[in-house]
Amino acid sequence: MPGSDDRSARNELHDPTVGLSSDDRARFSRQLELPEWSEGTQADLRAANVFIAGAGGLGSAVALYLAAAGIGRVTLADPDTVELSNLNRQILYASGDIGAPKVTAAAARLTSLDPSTVVRPLSERIDERNARRLVAGHDIVIDCLDSLASRFVLNRAAHDMRIPMVYGAVARFTGHVSLLRPPETPCLACFVPDKEPPTPTPVLGCTAGLIGTLQATEAIKHLTGIGEPLAGRLLVVDTLALRFDVLDVEKDAACPVCSGQDAG
Amino acid sequence: MIVYLRSGGKLRDVLRPDIDDYTRKVEVDDGLSIEQILAVLQIAPAMVAFAFADGTVRKLDYVPTDGETITLQSPVAGG
Repeated sequence: MPGSDDRSARNELHDPTVGLSSDDRARFSRQLELPEWSEGTQADLRAANVFIAGAGGLGSAVALYLAAAGIGRVTLADPDTVELSNLNRQILYASGDIGAPKVTAAAARLTSLDPSTVVRPLSERIDERNARRLVAGHDIVIDCLDSLASRFVLNRAAHDMRIPMVYGAVARFTGHVSLLRPPETPCLACFVPDKEPPTPTPVLGCTAGLIGTLQATEAIKHLTGIGEPLAGRLLVVDTLALRFDVLDVEKDAACPVCSGQDAG
Repeated sequence: MIVYLRSGGKLRDVLRPDIDDYTRKVEVDDGLSIEQILAVLQIAPAMVAFAFADGTVRKLDYVPTDGETITLQSPVAGG
């Protein structure tokens, strides 16, 4: 990507612990005006290090909105290349990106949105061998993966490393969102059974965008401490019926990942 | 007992709603779990990840009460 090396070099010079620049005050002025927000809140986001697992329909919305909000560092992991059939929902990419590694195209898009966002592209598939190493050192993990099997691997890694995880999933007109931070809350394996649906999953692009946007919102709330997190609760969205159900989720005493832990 | 089963997505095709576009009224023996009700209706349990009722996620061994509305949720795994 022309210019991406220059942007990466500039990113290496950025110190997210430094206070807001005049450009940042202008860039984020509309959120700085929020009564729940302050320069300290913005600085919290600049200091944050976020791991986004998957750069598809969910990951596109998550990454764009987190970069737009001023997240300091983003690791984006996805082994795939951009295909024409991605473009109904994967809004990080344009027709000219077809054939490019998703994370390379995404990094260029995100740093063009905000050159101060440090993007670390990882063209790797998350599996049991690398998951803990990949998520280590991040403040939050955002699950934007496209299979239950990989979600369970990510869930276990986030749990073992004591890193909160924003779960999201989408199919057709339906989506799920929850903030998982065991032992305070259930983990994914407490309430999602190992029933892998057939792939590829049909989905309306804007439903994926809605769920990804909600995941980004939960991540921002967690990182800044504002609002009421979706911890221990599951949001089920049905855009066809236009229903939003917020459900209590209970820990599974026999959970293979998190059972036997003391809460708190 | 009467149970109202509700679903969207792919499950709606097999649930065959009759109350409205998403809900089917079924009469079953008292004490049946959701999984047993699905068997009566010949709906494969693999098609249902979990259910929810009264604002709480329920596993398929949950036994509904008379008149309760149970929303069935298909496995959702796309990204």
